[in-house]
Amino acid sequence: MSRIGVFVCHCGLNIARTVRVDEVVEFARKLPGVVLAEDYKFVCSTPGQELIQESIEKHRLDRVIVAACSPLMHEKTFRKVIEKSGLNQYMLTIVNIREQCSWVIEDEDKATEKAKAMVNGAVYRARLLAPLAARFIDVNHDALVVGAGITGIQAALELANAGRKVYLVEKGSTIGGHMAQFDKTFPTLDCSACILTPKMDAVLQHPNIELLTYSEVSEVQGFVGNFNVKVRQKARYVDHEKCNGCMACMEKCPGKASSEFDELLSTRKAIYIPFPQAVPQKPIIDRESCTYFLKGKCRLCEKICQQGAIDYEQQDSEISLQVGAIILATGYDLMNTEALKQFGYGSYPGVYHALEIERLFNSTGPTDGKAVMRDGREPASIAILHCIGSRDKNYNEYCSRVCCMYALKFAHLFKEKTSADVYQLYIDMRCFGKNYEEFYHRLLEEDVKFIRGKAARVTDRALSPEEEGKLIVEVEDTLSNKFMRLPVDMVVLAPAMQARRGVEDLSRIFNVSLDKNRFFIERHPKLDPLATHTDGVFIAGACQGPKDIPDCVAQAIGAAAEAITIIGKDKLELEAATAFVNQQICCGCQNCVQVCPYDAPGYLADKGASEINEALCKGCGLCAASCPTGAITARHFANDQFMAELEGLMQY
Amino acid sequence: MIQIEKRLREEAKRLLETKEAAVVLAFGRGFDEEHPMPLILRKPSDAEKIVFNEYCTFNMARHLTEFPPGTKIAVAVKAADSRAVTVLIQEGKVKREDLIILGIPVAGMKDFRSGTAIDATTTGPAVNPVLYDILLADLLPEPKDVSPYDVLAEIEAMSPDDRWGFWSAEFSRCIRCYACRKACPLCYCETCFVDQAKPRWSEKSPSASSNMMFHLTRFYHLAGRCIDCGSCSRACPMDIPLYLFHKKVSKECEEMFDQAAGMCVDAKPVMVDFKVEDSDDILL
Amino acid sequence: MSFDPKILGIACNWCTYTGADLAGTTRLHYPHNVRVARVMCSSRINPAFIFRAFVLGADGVLVGGCHPGDCHYSTGNLYARRRLAVTKKILEFAGLEPERFRVAWISASEGNIFAETVREFTEQVRNLGPQTKLAAQKRMLA
Repeated sequence: MSRIGVFVCHCGLNIARTVRVDEVVEFARKLPGVVLAEDYKFVCSTPGQELIQESIEKHRLDRVIVAACSPLMHEKTFRKVIEKSGLNQYMLTIVNIREQCSWVIEDEDKATEKAKAMVNGAVYRARLLAPLAARFIDVNHDALVVGAGITGIQAALELANAGRKVYLVEKGSTIGGHMAQFDKTFPTLDCSACILTPKMDAVLQHPNIELLTYSEVSEVQGFVGNFNVKVRQKARYVDHEKCNGCMACMEKCPGKASSEFDELLSTRKAIYIPFPQAVPQKPIIDRESCTYFLKGKCRLCEKICQQGAIDYEQQDSEISLQVGAIILATGYDLMNTEALKQFGYGSYPGVYHALEIERLFNSTGPTDGKAVMRDGREPASIAILHCIGSRDKNYNEYCSRVCCMYALKFAHLFKEKTSADVYQLYIDMRCFGKNYEEFYHRLLEEDVKFIRGKAARVTDRALSPEEEGKLIVEVEDTLSNKFMRLPVDMVVLAPAMQARRGVEDLSRIFNVSLDKNRFFIERHPKLDPLATHTDGVFIAGACQGPKDIPDCVAQAIGAAAEAITIIGKDKLELEAATAFVNQQICCGCQNCVQVCPYDAPGYLADKGASEINEALCKGCGLCAASCPTGAITARHFANDQFMAELEGLMQY
Repeated sequence: MIQIEKRLREEAKRLLETKEAAVVLAFGRGFDEEHPMPLILRKPSDAEKIVFNEYCTFNMARHLTEFPPGTKIAVAVKAADSRAVTVLIQEGKVKREDLIILGIPVAGMKDFRSGTAIDATTTGPAVNPVLYDILLADLLPEPKDVSPYDVLAEIEAMSPDDRWGFWSAEFSRCIRCYACRKACPLCYCETCFVDQAKPRWSEKSPSASSNMMFHLTRFYHLAGRCIDCGSCSRACPMDIPLYLFHKKVSKECEEMFDQAAGMCVDAKPVMVDFKVEDSDDILL
Repeated sequence: MSFDPKILGIACNWCTYTGADLAGTTRLHYPHNVRVARVMCSSRINPAFIFRAFVLGADGVLVGGCHPGDCHYSTGNLYARRRLAVTKKILEFAGLEPERFRVAWISASEGNIFAETVREFTEQVRNLGPQTKLAAQKRMLA
C-alpha cells in the first residue's frame, strides 16, 4: 500500500474563506493509502515546504498531494521540495482547490464538497504514480533571430557579444527595418540613421553573426535546445560572393520601379540596393522590373560587371541550420489606409501616411529632405490626423502607442522646415514615456494648434471661397463641442501599427499563437512577456504589439538574455513524461506513427511493433489515445492513472 | 458461380506452380455443400479442393495478417473483402507488392446459417471488388440507388431511450465469445484492449456494463476502418445485429470526413488523419 | 432540491486548463458541478475515458482544448476533433443523450468563456436529469 501525505493549503484566506480546510483534511485522512493529512496557512512558504519535508521523513511518505493553487503556479516548486527529501519529483499530485474551487464557487458547502471530490481523485491517481527518470539533452549553443529591424539587430548583437553564434534571417534585401526609413526619432530628435547604421554595420562585421538577407524561415522542427531550421534564400540573381559592391550595374540599368523603401515616392533601378546605407552593400535584381527578365534582352548589368557576379540562372536555395533558441522579431506593418475611404488616402494627392512623411523629411529621401508635396509646392497648412485605424472598434481596438509622439515630431519638423500652420487632431495625447510629456509641452510652445477630436472626414468639396483648392478636414472639437471644417494643403494620417501580413504562416512554422489582433501571444502578459508557450522560442518588439524604439530595444536585450539562459547551458532537463510502447502488446497498426507531429514513433518491421524515440517525444499523449490495444503508456498520464483519477473524481 | 470456381482453381494452381504465390487464400468444402470453409492452400495439387458458391461469405482478408512479412499471398476477394485488403495495405499490415488479389465480382450471396440472401441491409451493396490484379469474372453492373445505410432509418428515428433499450437488450445477450472479433478482417490485434489488466477497460466475462464497454470501444476502434462486410454479425451465435452499429459509425464518418473506408490504397484511414478545415459542427 | 449533476471536465494543460485558471484569478463564479482532470493535450483523450466516465456515474462530460490551429502540439486537437466527434456519435446511437457530452475550444485567455461554458453546460445537463443508462452498469473498478 502506498503512503500518501496530503497537505491542504489555506492560502491565507484565498482558499480557507470558502473551503472548510479542516473538513477536507478530515476527509483525506480516511482515504485508503493516506497516512497523513495536514493543513497549513501557506504551504508554498518556507515553513510550509519544511512541513512537507519533515513529514516525508517522519512518516516515510512515498507520495505527496498538495491541495493548493494551480499546478501551473507551483507544481515545479513542490517537485523540488519533495525531490530534496529523496522522493522522485513525479510522485507529486497538485489539487487545484483555489482557481478551480475557492475562487469560483461562492457557496461554502459546495466548494468544500468539490474540494473533497478533487482530493479523492488525486488520491486515486497518486496511488498509481510511478517515478520517472529525468532526461537531459545536449544543447546547441547557437541562436536564430528572425527579422532584422532594430529589435532583431539588437538581439543579434547582444547574443553575438555574449559569444554566441547567431543566424540573423531577414526577409528583405537589407537589414534595418522600419527604423531605417525614419528621419528623426522622438523625443530626442536624434537622427535615426546616425544611431541605426553603426548597429547595422556592427551586424555585418561581427564574427559571430551570420547574416541571411532576402531569406525566410520555411520550416522549424525539433524542440528547445535543438531546433532544426530550414531557411529559404530567394534568388538575387547577383552572386554576393563575387560582387564587390561597386554599384556600376545600378548606374547603367534601364529598368525602373517605384522604390518600396521610399514608400513609392521615388524610383529605383531593377538592379538595386534599397537605400545608400543598405546592409549588405550588394544589389539584387528585381525580376518584375528587369528588362532582361521581362523582354528576354538587355543583360547590360552582366556586361558591366567586372566581377562576373550577375547570374540570371540563380535559383532559390535552401539552408539548414541547427540552433538552441529562437527569437522572433518580425515587426509590424503600417495599416493600409486606402480602405478608410473617408480620409481620402489614394484619392487626394495631398493626403500622406506617416512613413511617407518620414521619407519626405529624410535627406536621402525622394525630395532630398524638403517638406514639399507631390506637386512640388510647400504646404501652407498641415493637419495631422491621429488614431487612423487605432482606438477604433471598426478596425483596431488597441492604441498603436507611437503615433502621438511621432505626430509631435512631425509637427516640430514641419515647423522647422516650412512656415506652415500645423494642426494636431487627437483623441487624447498619450505621451507616456521618459521625456515624452516634456516633448509635448515643448510643442505646445511651438505654435502648433491642438484640436481635441478625431477627424471624421477629409474632402475636397469646398463650401466657401477660402476652402477652394484645399483639403477640408471635418472634425468635432470636443473641448468646445463645435463642429469644424479645417481647410489645409496637406493631410498626414497616423495609421495603426498592425501585425505583419503572413504572420499566420510564422505562427504555424514557429508554433506561436496569435492574439485576436494577430500579434504573437507572450507566455504571461506581466511576468513572462518575452517567452511563448513554445519553449525556446521568444518574441521581441512590435511583433508582440505596437511599441516604440526604446521598448523594442529593451525587449530585444531581454529576449537575448532569455535565449542565453537556454543556449548558455550544456545540458537541458526535459520533461520526463514521455510515451513508450510495450512491444509485447503492440499490434503493429502504426496509428502512432501516422499521428505523431514529432515523428517520435517508428515502426520496427522485424518486431512487428512500434518504438518511440523519447528524445523526440513531447509527451502530448496523442499516440497513447490512438493505440487500440493500450500498448502505449503516456507516462504520468497513463491510462490506468487517468482512469483511476476519473473514478476518484466521480465517486462522491 | 461454377465458372468462378473453375477460374479460382486455375489461378490458384498456376500461381502456386509458378511460385508467384506461396499461399492462396480461398474457400474449400465444409461438411456439405452449404457449409464451405476458409481454405489456405500451399500446394498446387490442393487447388482441386477449392469451391465457390453462394455460401462462401468469409472475408479471407481476415487471414492476411497471419503470415510472416514478405510472404507472397494470393487472396480471393469479393467486393467488401477487397476494401478490407485496402485498409490493411493503408495500415502497413501487408504490402501491396506481396499480394495477388483475385477479384470476384458476385451478387446473390447467402448466409449459410439462415439461408437468407445477403444484401445491402447487412453489408455494402457493391458487387465488384475495388482492388484486384486478376478478375475471375466479368464486372457486374453496380446496383443503383441503393444505400448501405437505408436500413438505419428505423433505429435513427427512435428516441434516445428507445435506442438505449434496443441496444441494451441486444448487448445483454452477448456471451463474449469474441466471434465478431475473430471474424473481422480488421480486428488483427493479437492482444485486444479487453485483455488488458492495467487498466481493466472492460471485464472479459459477460455483464451488462462490460458488454456495453466492450462493444462501444470496439465500434470506435473500427470507426473509419469498417468496410461493412458483415462478417461480425454472421459470425455472432447470438444474432446480435452488430452491422447496424458499424454501419451507423461508417455513415457518420463518411458524412463528417468525406471518405469511405478502404476505397483507395493511398488514402489514410480517417481516424489517423485530419483536415484543418474539418468543421467544428461535427462536434455538435 | 433540484437535481445537482456531477460532471467530468477534461481540460488540456495549455489552453483550457489555463483559461480555467484565469477564470479563477479573475474570480468569475460558476457552478461547482464540473470536476476537472488535466491532460497535456485534448488528443490524449481516449474515447474509452468518456465511456468510462459515464459508467462511473458522470451526468455529463465536458472536454476543453485549444482552438484548432492553436494546439500546443500543433495538430493534436485536430485529431481530437475527429475522435471526439465519433465518440459523440457512438454515444448518441447507443441511446445516450448527445447533450451530455460537449467539446469546447477555450483558449488560455478565455476565462470568461470557460466560466460561461460551465454555466451553460451544467444547466443543460441539469435539465436532462440524472444519467442512469451507462451509470447503471457500474460494477467493477479499474
